[in-house]
Amino acid sequence: MTTINANPDAVLDTHASSDNYLTHSRGFLSWALTLDHKRIGVMYLVGVLTSFLVGGIFALLLRTELLTPGATITADANTYNQWFTLHGAIMVFLVIIPSIPAAMGNFVLPIMLGAKDVAFPRLNLFSFWLWVGGALFAVFSLWRGAFDTGWTFYVPYSTTTEMGGVVPVVVGVFILGFSSIFTGMNFVVTIHKLRPPGMTWFRMPLFLWAIYSTALIQVLATPVLAITLLLLIVERTIGIGIFTPSLGGDPVLFQHFFWFYSHPAVYIMILPGMGIISELFAVHSHRHIFGYRFIAYSSVAIAIFSFLVWGHHMFVSGQSVLINTIFSAISFSVAIPSAVKVFNWTATLYKGNISLTTPMFYALSFLVLFTIGGLTGIHLATLNTDVHLHDTYFVVAHFHYVMMGSALIAMIGGLHHWWPKMTGRMYNETLGSLACIIIFVGFNITFFTQFMLGSHGMPRRYYDYKPEYQSYHVISTIGSYVMASGFLLTAWCLLSSIWLGRRAPANPWGGRSLEWQCPSPPPHDNFPVQPRVGDCYDFSCVVWKEEEQGYIVDRSLDPELNPNAPKRAGAH
Amino acid sequence: MTLSALAIAALSATANSSATPILSDDFWLPPAASTFADGLDQMFNFINWLCYFFFALITVLMVIFAAKYRAPKGHTFRMDGPTHHLPMELTWLVIPLILVIVIFWLGFAGSSRLGVEGYVGLTTAPRNSYEITAVASKWTWAFKYPNGVVSDDLYLPAGEPIKITIRSEDVLHALFIPNFRVKRDCVPGRYGMVWFQTDEPTGRSRYHHLFCAEYCGTGHSNMNRRVFVLARPDFDAWLAKEASWLDEIPAEELYFRAGPRLYPRCQTCHSLDGSRLTGPSWKGLIDRVNEGSGKFLDGKSYRDVIGPGKEFANADEYIRDSILNPQGHVVDTYSPTGMSTFKGQLNDTAIEAIIGMMKHLDEFDPKTGKWLKEGSTPAAPATTAAPAAGAEKK
Repeated sequence: MTTINANPDAVLDTHASSDNYLTHSRGFLSWALTLDHKRIGVMYLVGVLTSFLVGGIFALLLRTELLTPGATITADANTYNQWFTLHGAIMVFLVIIPSIPAAMGNFVLPIMLGAKDVAFPRLNLFSFWLWVGGALFAVFSLWRGAFDTGWTFYVPYSTTTEMGGVVPVVVGVFILGFSSIFTGMNFVVTIHKLRPPGMTWFRMPLFLWAIYSTALIQVLATPVLAITLLLLIVERTIGIGIFTPSLGGDPVLFQHFFWFYSHPAVYIMILPGMGIISELFAVHSHRHIFGYRFIAYSSVAIAIFSFLVWGHHMFVSGQSVLINTIFSAISFSVAIPSAVKVFNWTATLYKGNISLTTPMFYALSFLVLFTIGGLTGIHLATLNTDVHLHDTYFVVAHFHYVMMGSALIAMIGGLHHWWPKMTGRMYNETLGSLACIIIFVGFNITFFTQFMLGSHGMPRRYYDYKPEYQSYHVISTIGSYVMASGFLLTAWCLLSSIWLGRRAPANPWGGRSLEWQCPSPPPHDNFPVQPRVGDCYDFSCVVWKEEEQGYIVDRSLDPELNPNAPKRAGAH
Repeated sequence: MTLSALAIAALSATANSSATPILSDDFWLPPAASTFADGLDQMFNFINWLCYFFFALITVLMVIFAAKYRAPKGHTFRMDGPTHHLPMELTWLVIPLILVIVIFWLGFAGSSRLGVEGYVGLTTAPRNSYEITAVASKWTWAFKYPNGVVSDDLYLPAGEPIKITIRSEDVLHALFIPNFRVKRDCVPGRYGMVWFQTDEPTGRSRYHHLFCAEYCGTGHSNMNRRVFVLARPDFDAWLAKEASWLDEIPAEELYFRAGPRLYPRCQTCHSLDGSRLTGPSWKGLIDRVNEGSGKFLDGKSYRDVIGPGKEFANADEYIRDSILNPQGHVVDTYSPTGMSTFKGQLNDTAIEAIIGMMKHLDEFDPKTGKWLKEGSTPAAPATTAAPAAGAEKK
């Protein structure tokens, strides 16, 4: 190995120096006005995780209230209605939508490209402050009397409810939408223009394919939400009749507009998660991802299909039978690329070199939870079974398996994956894996019961319920406490590593893509010059280095970077 | 039986609270109580087995691979794992594709050979269906029968196709009867429809749940009612009874016979004990109106609109208008959209009974609305014979 180092390009300099992005400059303004994508990513991460804590507290309040029928911790149904609305709105608009693209994507995407930053760093900072502005509006809405519309803002309830927080929060979501659009635009341009030499489209890490597909949806779908919300505000404040029947409008029109955005938004949430999982399986199995092209194409396919299936949210709303039938048929199409991904991830484990690291535990959890979440989607896309299950806890369980069990678990997995890169510290792996197992168990106790609950007919958004449902609710609530303890353990595990953790090597997991070939934490400019890349899933040039307690990417072993590299068996 | 005995009978039947819901102990799904419920469950179970299979497949493979291909740190990587395998990938693209096409088709069209009821069957009501209209409003249901009867709980004849036309007076609601496997949103400004064919009679001691499944605000989770399925003769008797029960009560007994039976329609929003709900409490309501001191949202006081020569000559007229046109004059600090009209649901006699109840509120239990002097009525013994006489909760 030492001989290889004679080649200056053999191993990129990964020695952590005192000048990294965290220490590059100091003071509040050096963060608040930074154009560095890494700092913006970290700020997003702090914002998203804080929102996750708040949304999670509301979730625990909800579950606790549901321990008994009738009043448990609040005697007022309106309070409960506000809690579930806030839980949903915070988790969707402030947590899941920005979590992976804005927080993880911002940090990782330019480094994966070997670029200094995203294409438009100022726009990137603006996106972040828009996000903060949107979040402040949400807080402001609480002060104005909160809101109880559900996160879907269905009319005519949202135009007639007495609670004064509806307009502020809708303005907040409108602003968050622009944050999302700008981030998406930025990423599309960055991926088109800033790829390093050697990185053709089909050489991109799959995380980038996922982020790219997501960005396209963000740019194309979010404006529809923006205009819908504007119309809602106009109707509520000056009474122009668009959606409310008493003013001559049609409430189902709102649902069409809303889901035209919000269904693609579901893929804004899950696609980046799938991207992370592709990375996790490949890196922690130290093996070429199985069926790269199929996974990449399936991301794009999901992005395209996502625009064509919104009507399945409205099977019992009064759409015509014909429209329901068409939407049902198209909805099934999403199952195909999802199935392809699941099978390809499983096949990636086959003949791999698997390290059961904490991120790998999250990836395996994801695979199980996403399989359940995806399969139960079949019940809901099928017309005759959906009629019974629609608007019950079955749906609640289904989308929590996908949104939380998949998207959020992928995000937390990604966080563990890139945490050493972000902070330069290793966390306690035993603790991290234990926390993952606790979350996994707690999650299934919480939400699998809700499948049963829903199939027995328990409708969603119920403050009070029939006594026969209580045993399910109690089990579900206990599960949520287990899950919460898992998340607290995770928080402790990660945060304590900043003070207690050993220094992270540049490449603790044995990754092959560019972010593992710069120091941890990365310097301000990421790389002195944009490096050439080979196949980012070719792990034959990744070697363990005992003295660093980490791996290195020996570029001289890659025939694409070094024509004199030894030929190897099993090359494709 | 005297008229007053009948009325008492009806009153006692209001306390039909001993009836129990029909539930299942199965792992999945509630009891199947409509004729197509079994056909839908068949589909549900079919999809379930498919899910079990694929879940087991993925999980088992995952666990085996993760255990078998673990590699310690520092070990030289094996590089013999395939990077792709087109025939295999096409296989797991095509098999799910075929499966979902089959599932879609079964869900849409059904299959009599497999015993699956399709969606198409759910959307087409037979011509001879018995027709009922369901009107949802925050937070009550009114089920209207062809002879003009309006009921709070849903009563159905057994073994017959039923077609329910659905509408809403205010926001979105949804009619959901889990045991029948039917659900439909009540969209204001549109009519919706569900149909089903009832199965066995439940009698009056057991019932199916009926829920509101689309979020509609404060009372959403209590907007549930009971579904009683009666054999045709019982149903006819119930319907006839319902059509005439109000008229059979002598005018002077109206407020305490009919009032408590009608009050459940109002109690989600109007308390009797003075506590604040969505609407003003009935406690002291008449006094407030007569004193004229209260205020409306538009700034006018009661005195401005109620009194001789004003918009409403007296309290009765004002309250009647509040029931039929609730958004006309809204009491200050209450929502202008809180209440929807009861036009077509309460006739003049019913409104008279409600106003009478308001005027004699001290004779009623402030929690339940039960008439407190009931025990002193000489006709009380007739109560026990009541259910057999076909009298039933409205």
